[in-house]
Amino acid sequence: MSLEAILDNLDEFFKAFGYTLFLFLVTAVASLILGTILVAMRVGPIAVLRVLGSVYVTLVRNTPLVLIFIFFHFAAPIIGINFKWVQVHIGTFDFTSAFATAFVALSLYTACFVCEGLRSGVNAVPMGQAEAARAIGLPFLGVMREVILPQAVRASVPPVASALIAMLKNTSVAGVFFLAEATATMRGLTNDYSSQRIGIFLCFAVGYIVLVEIVSMISLALERRWRIA
Amino acid sequence: MRLRKAFAAGAAGIAIAAGLAACGDAGNDSEGRDVEAADDCDGKFDEGTRMAELAEAGKITVGVKYDQPGLGFKGATDDVPSGFDVEVAKLLVADLCIDPASSNVTWEETISDNREPYLESGKVDVVLASYSITDDRRKVVGQTGPYMVTGQQILVKEDSDVAGIEDLKGKEVCSVTGSTSLENVKAKGAKGVGADSYSECAEKVLDGTYAAMSTDGSILAGLAAQNEGQLKVVGDEFSEERIGVGYSKDHPEMCEWINGVLEKAFDDGSWAEAFELTLGPSGVETPEPPELDACQ
Amino acid sequence: MELHGVQKWYGDLHVLQDIDLTVTRGEVVVVIGPSGSGKSTLCRTINRLETVDEGQILVDGKELPQEGKALAAHRADVGMVFQSFNLFAHKTILENVTLGPIKVRKMPKADAEALAKDLLERVGVAHQAAKYPAQLSGGQQQRVAIARALAMEPKVMLFDEPTSALDPEMIKEVLDVMVRLAQRGMTMIVVTHEMGFARTAANRVVFMADGQIVETADPESFFTNPQSDRAKDFLGKILKH
Repeated sequence: MSLEAILDNLDEFFKAFGYTLFLFLVTAVASLILGTILVAMRVGPIAVLRVLGSVYVTLVRNTPLVLIFIFFHFAAPIIGINFKWVQVHIGTFDFTSAFATAFVALSLYTACFVCEGLRSGVNAVPMGQAEAARAIGLPFLGVMREVILPQAVRASVPPVASALIAMLKNTSVAGVFFLAEATATMRGLTNDYSSQRIGIFLCFAVGYIVLVEIVSMISLALERRWRIA
Repeated sequence: MRLRKAFAAGAAGIAIAAGLAACGDAGNDSEGRDVEAADDCDGKFDEGTRMAELAEAGKITVGVKYDQPGLGFKGATDDVPSGFDVEVAKLLVADLCIDPASSNVTWEETISDNREPYLESGKVDVVLASYSITDDRRKVVGQTGPYMVTGQQILVKEDSDVAGIEDLKGKEVCSVTGSTSLENVKAKGAKGVGADSYSECAEKVLDGTYAAMSTDGSILAGLAAQNEGQLKVVGDEFSEERIGVGYSKDHPEMCEWINGVLEKAFDDGSWAEAFELTLGPSGVETPEPPELDACQ
Repeated sequence: MELHGVQKWYGDLHVLQDIDLTVTRGEVVVVIGPSGSGKSTLCRTINRLETVDEGQILVDGKELPQEGKALAAHRADVGMVFQSFNLFAHKTILENVTLGPIKVRKMPKADAEALAKDLLERVGVAHQAAKYPAQLSGGQQQRVAIARALAMEPKVMLFDEPTSALDPEMIKEVLDVMVRLAQRGMTMIVVTHEMGFARTAANRVVFMADGQIVETADPESFFTNPQSDRAKDFLGKILKH
């Protein structure tokens, strides 16, 4: 099996995974924040927000990711929502419309799964914890922040990590929406070096496996560290 | 039949007018040429050649594209694909005494990634799928021709000042993910962005996200015709793609046969007729037939 | 603190029926009664962990707030001790006690810790301050829970069966803390099965059955001379052992 195609294009290989990794990181942060807000809405005392939260989750979670991408690329611009104004250039990386749109689509989508993962964690916290927190006079947000979420987060590490791992692989959808991330670059290379298709494919698969493995290991470490307490 | 196709084309036109990117691939409203099967196959091919086997079996599987209007395209309601690749394939099929219009021909979809694997495994007998001849591909499969030489150009908005690829250095230029066109754009110093289809690229050029898109001039001409007054093709051709026929390396004898059929089509005008019928409507002039590569 | 005509239903079940109860400052009221008599529910309505369907609950002459900041402020003034302790599992013993003072009373951290250490000393678990709840025995946890409630300097303390989940040898250490608290003049409402505690510490015993207050009396007369048949029956059953 020949690996020249990869060795001759190592810069492109790493740049491609650079986009994948950057997209994963910013989307992870945004979907964790948005997922936390959503779960606070869903378990909170305000009925309107509870309904809004669950409608959002139901709607977005049940929509295929590709449709969300298509929406932001081809439908949203018609009503004036576009990301042409995003022009960030760091080194050889260009974070423009394609990256921004992928970030928004993936974050809005992944937040639903983060929310549901956290909600399973919230449900795992005994009722008495919330009652005791309310009994010392903490308001809803204080109850969530000080008592429920810290414990819920521990219980939700495995489901949230799963959501993030799925998201890491979902970044490949951006490859057919104008972003030269790993999967798009792999397809470029297999087109140029048809005779080395299997080698190219395996190298990119290994790239994904390494990234996913890092995320799983971080998740395991967090699980262990928080277990004792 | 004719009526239904015309109606389908009209519906596609309305869909494009509504700005639906996904529906942008217009069907080809030509019926394609009627190519009659030859009847001289007894003893025409040497015993033991692949051609003799195929003629004997009376069945053949051809790999074509389903998603490239004018070259190889099969709409959701079409029974068989249409386009220039398909027309050339019909000539080869007919030479084997197989009726191209019959169900003895299987039109298998070969996307860019599975053309070589399908040839190697024998899943298809020949590939005519806008298949550029490259040295790298010739390591794993047989390729001969070319039966068409195309050049890559760029498509911009009607009011754009861009005059050619040299004006797009460092700018984002759209093409299809994993295509040779995209690699060529990058080689010219532009930043390539990949989409799923050419119509998606056109959509993004129209909405101003990207300054230009690039691929074969014939495809761009089709897109410009669909969006008349909004998009235009500019600049000289800056790459040369030699579109050829793919066959299995196990059957090198097919090369001479393919070249023979192509040569005959070049001479008797059926090649030009096929070109005119399939690519003519998008405004591409029928060129001189290309020079064929010699078989090894 | 006054309850007037309080009614509550769980579906068809009428768990609180027309409850009237007044507790004055410094008073220790023990609520006893058979299981399912509504005594825990009564206790929980006072800081609105349970809502009521009808009737009024007044604290210092003011109606119990419905929700929001006012309700949180009310809860801060009412200490609550639960049957299952409910210490915050992810926080140390010290943090359990300082959380309320710091986050609700906005006390500086150092002051809150000094207060917490003092309270933990009083309930006898000061040396466990750095541990997590799961590392403590039930009796220790419940004493920490009392310290946590006291740290808010509440006007009244509610105890919802504070010893029911404890092994017998730990009950006394918790009751001792409660008795001392009563002696220092804390207003207390205690739901319990501990008749000994009722005798020693209570100013008044409220006997509940089937969602109603059946009898109210001072401990001495209640235990020696109950008036109602239900109370006689109940005392007969538990005092046999």
